[in-house]
Amino acid sequence: MTNLADTGSRPQQLDEKPRKFVPGQPDMWMFVLFESLLFTGYFSVYLVSRTQNESLYLQSQTDLDLRNGVFNTIALLLSSWAIARCVQASREGAYRSALINAFMTISFGLVFLVSKVFEWVKQIHMGNTFTSNEFFQHYFFLTSIHCIHLLIGFIVLGIVVYQLWSPARRSQQLVETCATYWHTVDFLWVLIFALLYVVR
Amino acid sequence: MSLPKMKTTEPLTMPHPPTGSWVSRLVWNFRHHPKRELWFAWWVMVIFYQLYGVLFFFVTRVQPPPSPAWDTPTVVRWFDDHGFGILAGFGVVFLVAGMCAPMNALLAYSMRRMSVSRLFAYSYLIIYSLAAVPGMLVMAIAMTVGALRPERDPEIIQWLYDFAFLSFSGTMGVFLIGSLVWMVAILLDKNRVFPKWFGYLNLCNALTEVVVAPAWMFQRGAFAWNGAIAWWINMVVFVLYTGVFLTLLRRMIQREDFGIGPLPNLPGKHVAVLSDSVGAAS
Repeated sequence: MTNLADTGSRPQQLDEKPRKFVPGQPDMWMFVLFESLLFTGYFSVYLVSRTQNESLYLQSQTDLDLRNGVFNTIALLLSSWAIARCVQASREGAYRSALINAFMTISFGLVFLVSKVFEWVKQIHMGNTFTSNEFFQHYFFLTSIHCIHLLIGFIVLGIVVYQLWSPARRSQQLVETCATYWHTVDFLWVLIFALLYVVR
Repeated sequence: MSLPKMKTTEPLTMPHPPTGSWVSRLVWNFRHHPKRELWFAWWVMVIFYQLYGVLFFFVTRVQPPPSPAWDTPTVVRWFDDHGFGILAGFGVVFLVAGMCAPMNALLAYSMRRMSVSRLFAYSYLIIYSLAAVPGMLVMAIAMTVGALRPERDPEIIQWLYDFAFLSFSGTMGVFLIGSLVWMVAILLDKNRVFPKWFGYLNLCNALTEVVVAPAWMFQRGAFAWNGAIAWWINMVVFVLYTGVFLTLLRRMIQREDFGIGPLPNLPGKHVAVLSDSVGAAS
């Protein structure tokens, strides 16, 4: 197995193999594929259920605050922007800047998490729980399973910080692999946001 | 904790079987093949999953699971219709349940062959050995008790029905933790026993187990124990996952050199080293 600690500190190696280049481990892109297929299944079930009881879904959706969803989306898009800057800085060897961006990613992720918890509490106070009706089953399920991905994402970002912290580590491939995971969390949220909050 | 980074310098020298009849070659393989135990466990695993599919889906017909929303007369009628299949099918299940032992041993072996702590293999072995009790045996006992005396009080029949299916679904946490244990072992491993993408597939499988949790709250819909999300999508992922790990375990046995360093690639096969482990730099 190659030692990425070595390859990571030599950005020029990335240019030497343009044919095979994808950011990070190609294995992580397999994960992106698996997750995309899995969520396609979840979304399909949601959309089929929706066609069977459209009025209930439309009425329930009015209880969701679109501004909340937009705020969530902006928070995660900003986190994706920060992790992209982190990768860029790390490639250029600007590890201090990369670390700052990694912490910014974590901060935006936390903003998302806190706002999501507030939204759940608000919905529960309004009487909309996991067992209230079909729409809220899907709402709580999709947002919760996404939040589990987000929590795993914090561990992943912890690996990024761990890698960037010490000159003895700094594996560029691992940083990019972790960034790919984080982008997936963002990507899945954008789809969930569109389906739950926007599609009417 | 990892083993010292050592590379096996002496590849496994495979003794050549005699060139005689297939019987003599078979006997020779039984007596002298250095990987006979590994192949035995692998074949047990293949046969077990085939049997599992046939017995649960076609003989007992308890999978795909019937609806948790049925009333008592419907459940009693279901037991009447499935009575013989349940008794005969689960009779065979009781007979072959012990096949789990070599299967679990092979799965644990894969982790012992990695550069990671033995704790991973031991955790996996214990958790999966215990999972067979509620996930298979308790379900089978509840089902056969229900089918044995169709004249029993219908309320008790319904109780057994719920007990059996909730017991089956109740193993989700075991598969969740088991998949995560395997995932972490694969991602930390430096011996390239499995590709990293299989580690990530373990994460996918683990996340689909989380989805079974709502089955305790719903009697109908996508999240009930027979629902589109809690059962169907979950089962598709599990079948894919099982097919993948059977293939990868087969490849692991082929590559096994009984050393403690990285597993060699198969001769004549170009295997691109796609990635490194999370602990690469440690």
